[in-house]
Amino acid sequence: MVAKARSTAARVPVQPAQDSVAAAEVSLYRNLLKIKNDHTLEDLGISFYDAETTVQWSYNADAYFHAASTMKLAVLLGVFRQVDRGDLALDAPVHVRNRFTSIVNQEPFMLDLGRDADPDVYGHLGKTLTIRELAYWMITKSSNLATNLLVDIVGIPTIQLALDELEIDGIRVLRGVEDSRAFEAGLNNEVTAHGLLKLLRLIAEGKAYSQKACDEMLEILLDQQFRSGIPAGLPKAARVAHKTGNISTVHHDAGIVYLEGRKPYVLVILTQFPAEQGRGKAVAEVSRDIFNTLAESIYES
Amino acid sequence: MNHEESEQGLKVVDAFDLDDELRSILKPGELLRDAQGRRHRLPRYFYEVPSHEVALATRLTAHFAMNEFVLNDLKEAPRLQQYPRYIPCAVRILAFYLEHFRSAAGASVHIAVNGGYRSPSHKMSQNASPHMWGTAADVYRIGSNILRTKETIDKYNDIAEDVSDEIHVLPYGPVTGKNADDHVHIDLGYITLAPREISEDRMEHPQESKPRFAFEERRAKERRAPASVAENE
Repeated sequence: MVAKARSTAARVPVQPAQDSVAAAEVSLYRNLLKIKNDHTLEDLGISFYDAETTVQWSYNADAYFHAASTMKLAVLLGVFRQVDRGDLALDAPVHVRNRFTSIVNQEPFMLDLGRDADPDVYGHLGKTLTIRELAYWMITKSSNLATNLLVDIVGIPTIQLALDELEIDGIRVLRGVEDSRAFEAGLNNEVTAHGLLKLLRLIAEGKAYSQKACDEMLEILLDQQFRSGIPAGLPKAARVAHKTGNISTVHHDAGIVYLEGRKPYVLVILTQFPAEQGRGKAVAEVSRDIFNTLAESIYES
Repeated sequence: MNHEESEQGLKVVDAFDLDDELRSILKPGELLRDAQGRRHRLPRYFYEVPSHEVALATRLTAHFAMNEFVLNDLKEAPRLQQYPRYIPCAVRILAFYLEHFRSAAGASVHIAVNGGYRSPSHKMSQNASPHMWGTAADVYRIGSNILRTKETIDKYNDIAEDVSDEIHVLPYGPVTGKNADDHVHIDLGYITLAPREISEDRMEHPQESKPRFAFEERRAKERRAPASVAENE
């Protein structure tokens, strides 16, 4: 990993002065390195874009990480591509069935429902949920069952096509969730901080297919129920449209932060740590640092 | 449900009399090959189910209502995701056998979505399967048991086969079409049913336009059992 901070400000903000922005960046960089060391992170990737100042900042943002559940953002995008084209109705019923086929050898597999966070979906086994409900549970409770059902309907090629159409580099979606044959074959979903940032920026700016599609996606993302990442580093009044991603060695969060009286900022924090260590609170601490940098150092100085 | 429907039962339609879109979906009288290459002629006579309420209210047996056989999702042709729905008349024979299976199993029997009738245009319909004849059911739950283990599927397969030699089940296993690993598949083969109200003297020309109704009035009282008895629970 190239652990090197770099400023990629799109253009220089009018207020505050250039020197205070630079000073804030240096301070932020130091703080992040401290967090990385304190939490003995193996890898850290960060990207943010502030719509208020148009400042963009990143750290190791082109490095690929295991996507974990952040891949569900790409699935959401693929679903709304189909909805926006009229190829899929949000109210269309979907048979809730725990049976999928591996992309490697077409062998069937079932999800371990004991590991899935969402009884709201598997409680409907044998019955139906709508596309809208599945998308909601996929994001807000990170339901793997809902995700795989949506992947089955939309298809991996369509999800990748959506990413390509919107020129989102840095997100590779190859399969659904818990496809162990694919995992053994080394086929994993991967993301970069820049890739997720681009996706979320398009949604925040109403440019992912249509304003209506973006509004629907934001509404779902704002209902996220796992709040130990980005929201944990923010004031309680902050509203965050986001998606977390956790497996045994990664903890990610990617979201759009809405604060009273200013335009939102988009933030992606990807962390990787030793399996024996546990995920800790690094994401929340990075989120807090970035909030402090944006909201205090820049705007209140 | 209007009075006429409740008194006279569901209308039976000759699928050749339906509009072009429905005929292209239901493919009445067409020959389809099964996975073994054998050819079977698709059904021609269907019940027309005008609404969800009617589907719920139409009891085929004491514990099975029509709605359980027409549950589908977006894999079905869009026209058949809306009412009126169409289901081959042989479904009443399937319901009869399922009622006996329910008694033998000693618990409620729950048919999965897409587990009853599937039209030839359904995305799961590749080769001919009795689901297209309305004579197959995928049971995903019996009583409170979700069927997903070899042990439970084998157990209920045995019970189903003991009910009648006419019942065919799929052994536990992973190969779609040959096995089942998250349901019990029960089918009666490729049965077609021509209700007695129907004349079969013409294959491809519209019949006289007067409505034809099945479910003879003499059985109506049995079908309209009190809701508390009729619940499949």
